[in-house]
Amino acid sequence: MSDVSDEPILRIRGLRKSFGPVEIIRGVDLELRAGERHALIGPNGAGKSTLFHLISGNLRPSAGEIVLDGQRIDGWSPQRVNRSGLARSFQITNIFPKLTVFENVRIAVMQRHRLQYNVWRRIERMGAIREETGRLLERVRLQQQAATLGGEMSYSGQRSLELAMTLASDPQVVLLDEPMAGMSSEETQYTAALIREVTAGRTLLLVEHDMDVVFSLGERISVLVYGQLVATGTPAEIRSHRGVREAYLGEEHEA
Amino acid sequence: MRTTLSLLVAGVVLLAALPALLSAGLLIASIQMLIAALFASAYGMLSGRAGMLSFGHAAYFGLGAFATVHAMNAFGGSGLLPTPLMPLVGAGAGLAVGIAAGWFATQRSGTTFAMITLAIAELLHALAPQLKGLFGGESGLSTMRAPAWGLAFGSTIQVYYLTLAWVLLALGLLYFHSRTPAGRLTLALRENAHRLRFLGYDVHGLGVSAFAISAMFSGLAGGLQALSNEAANYAVFDAGVSATVVLNSYIGGVGSFLGPALGAALMTFFGYAVSDATQSWLLYQGVLFVLVMMFAPAGLSGLFGAGARLVERTGWRRAAGVAALVAGAALLLAAGGVFAVEMLQRLCSHDYRALAQAAAGWPAIPLLGRPWSPAAASTWLLPAALLACGGVLTVAARRRFGSAA
Repeated sequence: MSDVSDEPILRIRGLRKSFGPVEIIRGVDLELRAGERHALIGPNGAGKSTLFHLISGNLRPSAGEIVLDGQRIDGWSPQRVNRSGLARSFQITNIFPKLTVFENVRIAVMQRHRLQYNVWRRIERMGAIREETGRLLERVRLQQQAATLGGEMSYSGQRSLELAMTLASDPQVVLLDEPMAGMSSEETQYTAALIREVTAGRTLLLVEHDMDVVFSLGERISVLVYGQLVATGTPAEIRSHRGVREAYLGEEHEA
Repeated sequence: MRTTLSLLVAGVVLLAALPALLSAGLLIASIQMLIAALFASAYGMLSGRAGMLSFGHAAYFGLGAFATVHAMNAFGGSGLLPTPLMPLVGAGAGLAVGIAAGWFATQRSGTTFAMITLAIAELLHALAPQLKGLFGGESGLSTMRAPAWGLAFGSTIQVYYLTLAWVLLALGLLYFHSRTPAGRLTLALRENAHRLRFLGYDVHGLGVSAFAISAMFSGLAGGLQALSNEAANYAVFDAGVSATVVLNSYIGGVGSFLGPALGAALMTFFGYAVSDATQSWLLYQGVLFVLVMMFAPAGLSGLFGAGARLVERTGWRRAAGVAALVAGAALLLAAGGVFAVEMLQRLCSHDYRALAQAAAGWPAIPLLGRPWSPAAASTWLLPAALLACGGVLTVAARRRFGSAA
């Protein structure tokens, strides 16, 4: 490995978030190495989703800093964070339900081409946009359903659609919030393989409850418990980590 | 696609031929219909496509009208622009004010947005009579169309063609807008503004641009009205004007491109045809709106779609049967309802009460060229029978439709 890839693409330091008197994130330090697949696990209410909201600009941190590729992004608006190369998906499917699958992805693609105020050219005439949209649909294997309305897709189809929309801005860092939630084991396997394939060459931070997925997909794993990271390491290290077993994995296995 | 195109061409040809077919009075009504159709289309672009329910669109329509009057009166009456280009001033005023008002209004969505738009329009309505120089006070401002390009613009026919040209051009531009990237994004704004943010879009900027474009076309419609009336009065800022464009658009159906225009043209025509014959026009307008919202929420244009689907499923013959039943039911219900309302309205009027007191009884009420005694059972049995027959037909139509569906 070269020195450059050891430089973290995303660095979080002393991050805190309170809602009134309740502190949900209590001083998180986390570094994502460029190109790694990093999984974030932790019991319900540990603050995983809040951490995602803080990184993606949906919430403003109470304290601490978030640095993306050398640039501080904490407190930025979601659109500004997205434009600087970090895209996310949502735990609850978040698409444009009454637009077609093609249009959903096309809207995501248009942003990178700075077309939002273009009122003088027809979108159908823009071959580059159409081709790029088609390529993304192909990558998540939705080209057959391009004309279906987003809201009428199967659950896993909608998750694939979200994945395509998240990738449309060609982000360096991808945040996926429980991409397998509510899926059958077949769908989970399919989606895990898809995520591995389409996020190649990007940095991935993934929240997931399915431990098989976490340990197979994650190259490194961080464990968040009550707003603090109790461990970060390779799957093998996390498996043998005593504190993690007590705090988290043990409970899960008994349950 | 081909049928749509040929229908469009036929429609335009018909509109172009109207001056040869209609009386002068009806031609003036047609100008009002065209202007209302454009205003409703501009409104539908915002509320239907972008999902922003504005309750104060009279502001942009009215400012367009006043700006146009001022432009026509500029340079001692010779005008800022040649007469045919005057509506551009209205469009410019709508755009400029739309950007400013939209910047505030689109900070919020949903109910808050609607309330801000309402407040802006009411502010103008309250302020306008005070600003005599700008809005001419209670009596308003008047102007004259100056001759231009070898045309006098003195006749209704010339004004009609000028209005028609602008309305067709504006509808074409609004349709074009729906096919551009910005137009596609207004749909996404309606569907899920939250997601747009995480796709890197400035949602406020998108909202302002959709609002401003809608205000621009509203201002254009206002400019056409000023050009046609050769006057503008602050009454144009009335909340009723804002309400009418909402009702028109939703009666026509904001889900389809031409729905609002259709609704506005239809309602303006009825308003013209009926307002002399009845004092209850606003009541009918309200009842129609409620009925459309309850039974055909996609609006009247949505009925075409439903009809087309029925034809597809069951073939022409059965669909025509259902359509005939529906039309019959609507006609009977309307006849019964209108008769009852008109009788009651006359019965409750001051004139009738004075008459009844003088006669110490229940004198007959003339309606449809016939006297009807309010004390006679037959007077009330007639509307009751009409309504009952209409109800039976409605049930039959629903059964038929249900078995077909």
